[in-house]
Amino acid sequence: MYKIRTTDVNVFYGDNHVIKNVSMEVMPNTVTALIGPSGCGKSTFLRLLNRMNDYIDGFSMTGNIFVDNNEIYSRKTVVEELRKKVGMVFQKPNPFPKSIYENVVYGLRIQGIKNKALLDETVERCLVQAALWNEVKDDLKKSALALSGGQQQRLCIARTLAVEPTVILMDEPASALDPISTSKIEELIYELKNKYTIIIVTHNMQQAGRVSDRTAFFYMGDLVEYDETKKIFTNPKLERTQNYITGRFG
Amino acid sequence: MTHLDTELQYLKKDIMELWKITQSQLERGKKALINFDRDLARQIIATEKRVNAYELKIDRDCENIFALFNPVAIDLRFVLAVLKINSNLERIGDIAEGVARFVVDVDKQFSAELLEKTHVIQMFDLSIDILSDTAVAFEKEDTQLARTIFMKDEKLDEINSTASYKIADYIKAHPDQLRESLHVLSMIRKLERVGDQSKNIAEEIIFYLEAKVLKHLSAKQKQE
Amino acid sequence: MSNADWNRLKDNVFKYVGIACTFVGLLMLAIFLIDILIKGVGRLDWQFLSSLPSRMASKAGILPALAGTMWIMVVTAVIAIPLGVSAGIYLEEYGKKSRFASILEININNLAGVPSIIYGLLGVEIFSRVMGLGGSLLAGSLTLALLILPVIIVSTREAIRAVPKTIREGSFALGATKWQTIQHQILPASAGGILTGVILALSRAIGETAPLIVIGALAYVAFVPTTPMDDFSVLPIQIFNWVSRPQKEFHVNAAAAIIVLLVVTFLMNGIAVYLRNRWQKKVKW
Repeated sequence: MYKIRTTDVNVFYGDNHVIKNVSMEVMPNTVTALIGPSGCGKSTFLRLLNRMNDYIDGFSMTGNIFVDNNEIYSRKTVVEELRKKVGMVFQKPNPFPKSIYENVVYGLRIQGIKNKALLDETVERCLVQAALWNEVKDDLKKSALALSGGQQQRLCIARTLAVEPTVILMDEPASALDPISTSKIEELIYELKNKYTIIIVTHNMQQAGRVSDRTAFFYMGDLVEYDETKKIFTNPKLERTQNYITGRFG
Repeated sequence: MTHLDTELQYLKKDIMELWKITQSQLERGKKALINFDRDLARQIIATEKRVNAYELKIDRDCENIFALFNPVAIDLRFVLAVLKINSNLERIGDIAEGVARFVVDVDKQFSAELLEKTHVIQMFDLSIDILSDTAVAFEKEDTQLARTIFMKDEKLDEINSTASYKIADYIKAHPDQLRESLHVLSMIRKLERVGDQSKNIAEEIIFYLEAKVLKHLSAKQKQE
Repeated sequence: MSNADWNRLKDNVFKYVGIACTFVGLLMLAIFLIDILIKGVGRLDWQFLSSLPSRMASKAGILPALAGTMWIMVVTAVIAIPLGVSAGIYLEEYGKKSRFASILEININNLAGVPSIIYGLLGVEIFSRVMGLGGSLLAGSLTLALLILPVIIVSTREAIRAVPKTIREGSFALGATKWQTIQHQILPASAGGILTGVILALSRAIGETAPLIVIGALAYVAFVPTTPMDDFSVLPIQIFNWVSRPQKEFHVNAAAAIIVLLVVTFLMNGIAVYLRNRWQKKVKW
């Protein structure tokens, strides 16, 4: 029933208690926005879901996180398999220094998939889904680094889609982009919602309003309020949330 | 189409639906009056609930759109206009319901002479016509049509201003129809307000499409 | 004088001082090069390049020394590159960030600065005596490999470090393992830097004289080495040998040999620079 569920999750970096007892559920095919001031833990929380925090020194966590009812921090979890199901798009576009084509198929190549017809079809399908196909279809061998920032970010989304995840995590995907590229990415998120479950960290509250169904407000490691975006933006339950939303602090 | 465009489309659909219901309330009201059809009048009273439900929904949707999308320019003017037109339509719905109540309340049928001398049917026709014009002007984004409404409303005011004399004369001639006559006078007063509400609607439409504010100007000025 | 004028004056003074220093350095280099060219270019001919050394200056050639230098370069490369690059990859990617790892890093950096003759002594003890390789090419190559190993390790680590963390993250986020990330992203991206470091290390190796003398490279070799177990000589030693002779004709030979050695060195450095520029154009972060 739930796509993602966390119960009593606490995260420590060494002695630093950065996530405090967070329990929340995410339904499938929804867009959930994580908002909050800098350092509130929203990016850390996001990275728990595909275990990218594993690479940080001193990281430890308690509690449970379930994706499709499987605990992802159990000993039996194969991290590489998890990351194919739960993809991630980063704040600064990070295309590989390869061609556009090779960028999109990278996730498939490392799984050993070599069939050219399949790869070609995947490249077209994912670039279409990422609303980038028309701009690059004439020269897929061009270096990805020659694309503009907004195009690079859509390329990163395309390559994430290529491994066929069911969840897409986005860590401030548009914060490094100009307004036109940002609105293109937001439209993309709105369309992708039909097939994927999306969780997006954003500093930009208006963005959370535009794209998300539910919003979670984090503050200093606590999950302060988590509700329908409509409710949070018209009549939040807690005054702290209201103060943040109206820009009166943070 | 963007997410905002989708929401604005839904909003337009909803307000057009409310427009349709309100128009139907007035048209049925006219029929109920002419045919003295009290069952139809009771239906009109029951339908008022739908009108209110739509009004609440549209209010809430406008609030959400403001909160979630921060619309600007024409989108902002559109949502502001819809918010106000929403209230206007709801009041017109109230008026239609009020007229229907008079039909239910009275004991005997309104005489044809009474209806004819007071021009109340004409008022009905005029107000239905004006309301229909506002609906078309909004849907087709026709500000020229919207501007004709101000002059049309003058006609309604004319009938209204002579109504009390006409009714007074009639009561003198037919003192047994006192109650019915007074009801007809009330109906005329109410129907005149349909004109006022429609004028407000027209002002909002012109504001939304042209960003021009026509409030508090004379009818002649508005025509320009 | 106002502050702005004072600053502008300092600016100009520094500019001219910088130009003068550069000029002095270039001048010294130019003098050396011109001197060598004048002395030696006349002696350069096919006979010089293809003859064995001889007691007669006019008949003496650098063929064995040149062959020896080429051999040394190849065998050293074959030994040092896989070892050095693998060690560099391991230390940078798998070595945990412990105190031991940082001690190791400091020590490797130090090893890069140890005088080459120390490596010669190490080599003569382990390779020549204990392993019984004597004064062979193999012993010399092993010794030089040890010498340039720290340099290759350090430049491999630097090249790998230059690959942005975001590339790694992107690869992991798609479900790649650590080794797949190294194989498909890190190595291709750092290849330019690694190659540059390797070439520079090798061009240093072919200029080394002291360790090879200690190993037992001969000063007078009358044959071209054919196997790694053969005795050998290299260009620097041949040059040293000729310069020490009293006859002036041998000095001319030495000058010519120096030109050959310089050409080889400049060529290798030139390739390194070209490759680095080409890779940097491909991989602009």
